[in-house]
Amino acid sequence: MSSGGPLLDVRHLVQEFEVRAQGGVRSGVVQAVSDVSFSLDKGETLGLVGETGSGKSTLARSILQAPRPKSGEVLFEGVDLVTLRGREMLRARRQMQMVFQDPFGSLDPKWSVTRIVEEPLIAFRTGARDERRRRVTEVLELVGLDPGRYADRRPRSLSGGQAQRVAIARALALDPALIIYDEAVSSLDVLIRAQVLNLLERLRSELSLTYLFIAHDLALVKQVSDRVAVMYLGKLVEIGPAESLYREPLHPYTVALLASIPNPDPTAPRAPAGQTIHGEPPSPIDPPSGCRFRTRCPRAQDVCAAEEPPLRKLANGHFAACHFPVSRDPLQAAGREPARLAGGHHDPATTN
Amino acid sequence: MSESLLDVSDLRVDFRHDRQVVRAVDGLTYSVRRGQTVAVIGESGSGKTVSSRAVMGLLPPTATVTGSIRFEDTEMVGLAEKAMRRHRGRGVAMVFQDPTRSLNPTMRVGAQIREAIQTHENTSRGGAQDRALELLELVRLPAARERLEQYPHQLSGGMRQRVMIAIALAASPKLLIADEATTALDVTTQAQIMELLRDLQQRLGMALIMISHDLGLAASFADEVVVMYAGRAVERAPTRKLFAHVRMPYTRALLDAIPRLENASHSQLAAIPGQPPNLALREPGCPFTPRCPNATDQCREHAPAFAEHEPDHEWACWHPCADEVPA
Amino acid sequence: MADLPSDLVAAGVAPAADEAAVARAGGWWQGRLGVAVPAAMVLFIFGLCFIWPIIGPVPPPTGGNILNSSLPAFSPGHFLGTDAVGNDEWSRLLYGGRASLEIALAVQAIGIVVGGLIGAIAAYLGGWRDATMMRVLDVFIAFPGLVLAVAIAQGLGPSELHTIWALSFFSVPASARISRAATLRVREETFMTAARLSGTSTPRMLFGHIAPNILPQLLTYALLGMGIIMILEGALSFVGLGVPPPAPSWGNMIAQGQSTLSATPRYVFLPSAALFITVVSFNLLGEGLRARWGSQ
Repeated sequence: MSSGGPLLDVRHLVQEFEVRAQGGVRSGVVQAVSDVSFSLDKGETLGLVGETGSGKSTLARSILQAPRPKSGEVLFEGVDLVTLRGREMLRARRQMQMVFQDPFGSLDPKWSVTRIVEEPLIAFRTGARDERRRRVTEVLELVGLDPGRYADRRPRSLSGGQAQRVAIARALALDPALIIYDEAVSSLDVLIRAQVLNLLERLRSELSLTYLFIAHDLALVKQVSDRVAVMYLGKLVEIGPAESLYREPLHPYTVALLASIPNPDPTAPRAPAGQTIHGEPPSPIDPPSGCRFRTRCPRAQDVCAAEEPPLRKLANGHFAACHFPVSRDPLQAAGREPARLAGGHHDPATTN
Repeated sequence: MSESLLDVSDLRVDFRHDRQVVRAVDGLTYSVRRGQTVAVIGESGSGKTVSSRAVMGLLPPTATVTGSIRFEDTEMVGLAEKAMRRHRGRGVAMVFQDPTRSLNPTMRVGAQIREAIQTHENTSRGGAQDRALELLELVRLPAARERLEQYPHQLSGGMRQRVMIAIALAASPKLLIADEATTALDVTTQAQIMELLRDLQQRLGMALIMISHDLGLAASFADEVVVMYAGRAVERAPTRKLFAHVRMPYTRALLDAIPRLENASHSQLAAIPGQPPNLALREPGCPFTPRCPNATDQCREHAPAFAEHEPDHEWACWHPCADEVPA
Repeated sequence: MADLPSDLVAAGVAPAADEAAVARAGGWWQGRLGVAVPAAMVLFIFGLCFIWPIIGPVPPPTGGNILNSSLPAFSPGHFLGTDAVGNDEWSRLLYGGRASLEIALAVQAIGIVVGGLIGAIAAYLGGWRDATMMRVLDVFIAFPGLVLAVAIAQGLGPSELHTIWALSFFSVPASARISRAATLRVREETFMTAARLSGTSTPRMLFGHIAPNILPQLLTYALLGMGIIMILEGALSFVGLGVPPPAPSWGNMIAQGQSTLSATPRYVFLPSAALFITVVSFNLLGEGLRARWGSQ
């Protein structure tokens, strides 16, 4: 824990949506984020993994108060964002920025690159025009875009990777402390994705940034994160150091996620049929009682339906919300065989 | 050679656009045998989707197709639409990426499957309904009987994809083309669908062409891999051989760029600079030259031919990668 | 279906739609005519009605000598003849066109600015403000356009300016509807969320982001509406509520000419033909632009 507490401290966050009846979809309230708590230290990268309906994107937007969460606290540098209004909120917003999934959707098609990157500078009235332009040039260079070539282009004459770089430049313009990446590289081609990820790493170390990195690809998330959190149907089910999560996953859902990742090694043993997760994700309007994962969990017992498991510390910095976590032994020595769900497949641990 | 179900030979597809000609596929050659799984791997603009549409005859009229696509001794290039329609569904069927857009939102699931069945077989509505149920059970859709009466929006993404597969299987095709069929799905759902496809293949003796950008998926499920770049095939080999002896620097780059669980946090990925080339400007030489770590002047001037340089391993490169010495 | 498969589009090869595809969609005719031809026609008509009378040998449209009345076509000095009181028909046609076009332009401009603003603000703010503004506009939309225009024009009295006010009551709500729908769509775009998170103020959101992105639709709609407005103006003039004679407008020329339809059909035919050609040109231009811009 760094001195002065964490940069971001989310406590018991709840976000809800109303869903109106439409065709076969019933009306009701969806708790997209359900009592989620975690903290993020300065300079850390927290990865957030979850699939469709997990609530990870909603969580990100709730943190940014866009829109305000239904309940809970979001402490940024000790100040609860939920309580802020108007000018104070604006000032707080300066410190947190977001990069979105669709590189083109997040850029106004009618604006030039310069104008796009300059927008936050104008909104916060930082300095005169010359200063702003200088900052735009600086930040474009930081993300690897030659200002001479790109300053006046429109988004439609950019490639996906370039457009995303513009979005990153815009996020950096105000020199924020925290950047949230919401599936920011998921729409990019494999090779471009690697380029952008390397860029993000470089920026992080050069500018001492703190990242919240959201994706559905666990391998991708682990690559860039110090710690990883796993969400399922609005709940935080596991959180811990990245390496720990991979080698000793505690929650059955994490194990299933790991087992589902296609391994780019044809010689690795294939998971025997039936190892992958069962069934379909339940409806978010009417989640299962108790543990929300129980309907698809091979380890579920009666208590799982009756009682919702709390997030408990089961190893060093490693928490899981499960009545029957996969590994109960704390403090694993490095190099032990990764846990199996019931004979799942992993690469044999290489000595690192 | 008659063992082959599908023989693609020197396939070229040109698009007319604004007085420009864009060559989307530039000399693609590969084969698929009965019951085999071939993965066609490439990124955006590689031509993988266009080539698969050519096999199905689904290209728009602005496309000019040359070369040969032989499916079981029938030449598909230049085939009349009527014959093509018979061939689609019964010989070759396709499953697309986005099941939301491929299914008619105003028709019940059962009706859509029945439509596919009745296009190819002369059965009564009742007979088709029974077959539709059979198909939904074949693709392991839970509560199949109820699903028949539901609309697509009432199903999840994974379920919709199963319905798409059921529709594709309606006329028992010998070859199924899965065009990025799992790209839009969650990773756990993707695993389920891939397992399903593998199972169906074994049960029905069906061949499968997987079109994807995911080499990892190919590694787990394909017998053979064809790697495409800028409209050309650049490497082809049986899966194990390809991964054990990667030759094409592009394939190497693809492999190195995949985040691995074993990688340490904050480690850099081996990324190569640049972007895929503009297909409208066709330069001489190898299209990968600007980004290739092995590139020389020779690469800029003369495009290497796609040929079998090692037993059952074809590639197009002047300076292929050597085998990596194991650590 | 786009002409180029999406992976080629993603590779940045070419834009998603091309004119050939548009041509196939709307027929050979629309593809060929596109934007250039109707634009040229519109410019030509404007040039003829606004510029030519200033620089060319066009006699004034009013104050003609009664001794020259009802001259037939191809009379010396009046190649289209004169009207019942001796005014040159060709001149009346041009000046009448100018009046009709001025009215239509003004009405549509007011529609875009006022209606566009109302609709955009309503959609952007949402909630009760949206509901209130829209209900007020609904009242005006509920009236048949002509009835509304007639009622207002009658209240104000016939003049070119009053005609503009009257017809604006028709164009403003219609534009507001379009603007509101377009704004609702743009509002959901990710770049709007990004702008909000950047701290952009509401006025800047409206004028910097929403306005440029809805303008193409508003403009296209306005062009397509030019024809309707000109015909409405014609109808108003027909019942004596539009531009008051002796100043010509195509509408009042048709109105005046109908009494001598059998004797001098050209008094009706000429302004009708002019109106027809102009309306078709605007429509084609609107369609062409919609095809060009809608597929961006």
